[in-house]
Amino acid sequence: MTENKKLNQKTILICLTVTLIFVLLGVFCFSYANETLDLKADELGLKEQTIYDPPFPDYNITNFENKWSNLIVSVTATLLLLIITITVAKVISKKKDQK
Amino acid sequence: MHIPDGLLSPTITIAAFIITIIFWIISFKKIKLTEQQVPMMGLLTALFFAAMMMNFPIIGPTTAHLLGGAVIGLILGPFAGLISMSIILVLQALLFGDGGLLALGVNVLNIGIIGVFIPCITFTALNKLFKPKIGTRLYATIFISTFLGCLTPAIAAGIEIGLSPLSPWYGLSIAVPAMAINHSIIGTAEGIVTVILIATLLKLRPDVLEKSQILGKITLFKHKTKNEETLNDRE
Repeated sequence: MTENKKLNQKTILICLTVTLIFVLLGVFCFSYANETLDLKADELGLKEQTIYDPPFPDYNITNFENKWSNLIVSVTATLLLLIITITVAKVISKKKDQK
Repeated sequence: MHIPDGLLSPTITIAAFIITIIFWIISFKKIKLTEQQVPMMGLLTALFFAAMMMNFPIIGPTTAHLLGGAVIGLILGPFAGLISMSIILVLQALLFGDGGLLALGVNVLNIGIIGVFIPCITFTALNKLFKPKIGTRLYATIFISTFLGCLTPAIAAGIEIGLSPLSPWYGLSIAVPAMAINHSIIGTAEGIVTVILIATLLKLRPDVLEKSQILGKITLFKHKTKNEETLNDRE
């Protein structure tokens, strides 16, 4: 294995660990969200108008709203996002190489 | 920062979608990724998606989260940065209802375009002006660029909300300061995080930054390229 590959694997491992730590902190320590827009809407007694019901509202599984379902959804979404972004980046990179 | 549906006027919503689509087309045409940048794009996108889940208390009961557009833009370039942030925002809107579907154009405009291109433009301008070497000046340049990359999307969101007749915020004088004050605090935090991340990469993985459209232009890499060219000429 070349040194470059080892270095790449080490970087990937560090980044994934930090990402997992962020997810854990987001779920267990910093999950309470009350952004400026939400706060103002609450003050004015307004409710969000939605045109579509998302499958995992507020990063939770409907009817199982707790920290653990929040964690499962968050970890799955992060991995899904990682796969999607790498796939998009690879497709772009290949197309550019062909040109 | 994520604007929900029903808050903005149709004119602003449609205009933002048009601008976003134009930027998407340009970005897909102009994006350049090296072999090392492909996994880095995925990792940074996942990292800042996770970072967005952490809501930090700021003033009173208000919370805010990191955005990540500046750091991704500075490391991978503005076009890759826009695509990364767009993937995050589409996923957040579709799966979690974090930001409205109709407001997706506005959210991409604010977080993905303004939040990525402003720090990249600022960094390029300051880098040309001061030519900072590794050290306090370079980190100050990164900090300022990131801070603006957090503040300007908030101001843009404030303007869009303030100008919308559907908005309950009653004009620019309320919407803009409310968004700007809170996000200047989170901008400071994001600036510090970005400086730490880039300083670490400069120390451990300078090869990732060397080919960057933005950070690849810093004095360190320019000198390195010139030295390599001189060596090649001699050979």
